[in-house]
Amino acid sequence: MSLLDIILVAVRVAFAAFIPLCFIAVCVWMERRGAGFFQDRAGPNRANIFGFRAAGLVQNLADGAKLFFKEDVISDHIKHKFYFVLAPLIVFFAALVSFAVVPFADTLVLNGKSYIMQGIPIDIGILWFLALAGFGVYGIILAGWSSRNKYGLLGGVRSAAQVISYEIPMGLAIVSLLVVYGTVNLNEMAQFQGKLLFGFIPMWGIILQPLGFMIFLIAAFAETNRTPFDLAEGESEIVAGFHVEYSAMKFAIFFMGEYIAMFASSAIIVTLYFGGYQIPFLATDTLISYAKPIAFLLMLGLPAGMYFFAGWIRRNNVSHYPRENDPRVYEANIYIKCFWGLVIVLELFLFALLLCQSEGSAAHIFVVLLQVSTFLLKVTMMIFVYIWVRWTLPRFRYDQLQKLGWQVLLPLALLNIFITGAIVVALS
Amino acid sequence: MFADWLFTGFSILSVLGAIGLVTFRHPMNGAMSLVITLISLAGLYALLSAKLIFAIQLIVYAGAIMSLILFIIMFLNVQTDDLPEEKDRFLYLIGGGVVLAPVFFFLKKIVQSLPASETTIVGNGFGGVKEVGLLLFKDWLLPFEIVSILLLVALIGAVVLAGKRRVSK
Repeated sequence: MSLLDIILVAVRVAFAAFIPLCFIAVCVWMERRGAGFFQDRAGPNRANIFGFRAAGLVQNLADGAKLFFKEDVISDHIKHKFYFVLAPLIVFFAALVSFAVVPFADTLVLNGKSYIMQGIPIDIGILWFLALAGFGVYGIILAGWSSRNKYGLLGGVRSAAQVISYEIPMGLAIVSLLVVYGTVNLNEMAQFQGKLLFGFIPMWGIILQPLGFMIFLIAAFAETNRTPFDLAEGESEIVAGFHVEYSAMKFAIFFMGEYIAMFASSAIIVTLYFGGYQIPFLATDTLISYAKPIAFLLMLGLPAGMYFFAGWIRRNNVSHYPRENDPRVYEANIYIKCFWGLVIVLELFLFALLLCQSEGSAAHIFVVLLQVSTFLLKVTMMIFVYIWVRWTLPRFRYDQLQKLGWQVLLPLALLNIFITGAIVVALS
Repeated sequence: MFADWLFTGFSILSVLGAIGLVTFRHPMNGAMSLVITLISLAGLYALLSAKLIFAIQLIVYAGAIMSLILFIIMFLNVQTDDLPEEKDRFLYLIGGGVVLAPVFFFLKKIVQSLPASETTIVGNGFGGVKEVGLLLFKDWLLPFEIVSILLLVALIGAVVLAGKRRVSK
């Protein structure tokens, strides 16, 4: 292995491990600001470091410090302490590892060698995600059972039954998708979605499989135990469900596991139905051959976008009543300077790319970075959909939930397989 | 070399899990040991470059079936007092060991008489999803379909049997 190989392995593994962890902070922040937005209130905007609130991101640090320094209680009535401690770890790591097979950029070709941009370069793709999604159930079952508490047990039973029954429509929705794509490899699926339908529509999964997308989306909401399917922790009936006995960091690990699961399933939804890392109308080859014009357009576009962004910050980051020497205006000015600095650094990078030889390694790396940003942007939008649904819809009743899974989604998914099969056979 | 270490690790884990399954008293401990065995078996399949079997082992056995078993154990909420007392279990253990000893020596002899040969990695996507799929649906289509009908019959049978009992009440 050359030095380049080792560096790329380290970069890919680090990306697959740390990006979900970073997104916990982003998700929690989006959740709180989103809740504020949907309920017509401000959301967390007071926590600050020397007056800098970073739009509420500092609240995450405060929450983290609170959870970290809380007393970690394991009640005496808990007999199986090993499983009690193991349960949150299973939930957390199963969610984290399930992201490892998602490609975040097209295969990178450097010096004639190709590198698959995934955490684990394995081609079973979606099967790995299904397997790890199944492992998450162990954590919930063990947590509910080892709590030795009727609320915990009921929450565990509910959650396990829900996850197991929604795995079936999810698997069937994936089957019809596999019929369309003809592969289980997520990278090949993303490459397939780079093509154009009738020459002008991107061949994204959502266009080829609208019904399958709805089924998969609903099942993914249920799998991640998010509202409207969060009966496992129905506060009004069973207090907090399977994590009622957990405190401090053990609770925090459950909490982080839930957000990582949300990130991972958003990443899977994006890869399966929204073209993954593909930029619409610009397949990887086109991007590589037009790297310089695109870089030039970005160089023009970035300052223009930043100008409007700066205006937006300045308009919104002010006190709502007249104050002398408004500290928020001062704060906004600092943010704007930071962002302009970032834009200048990016401009320098793009300028360096313009000086490089065309279609060389620099162009390839530039395309990978573009695709990574596209992928993360799409995933962030999908996470926003999760938050949107959570703060808009009320919770289902338990029998409605099971009815929806078995009597609506399952037949629809089967029907979808038959329709897809018929169309694929007719067209081939 | 690395694969050898992985093989040793997975084998030890799977045997330990199997021993745990029969020796642990609490059903939850037994079930968790079985999970360890199933996952390490999946690792062994992966070492044999059977990628599809690896994934299926994880999804079906380690994921679905074992989580249903755990679910049932949780549902029944078995406590230590509910378990039967097994006073003579060490006697049974010794008896079983004595009975199995000849088989063990026989197996040992077989393993020792195996000719030493170099193993190589099978190429051409052996064990991949596409290859196994093509094999199943081209050469083994009829047996495959018959097995699926068998499973369907078992499924319907289970539903019918479970429904009948409710009617007789």
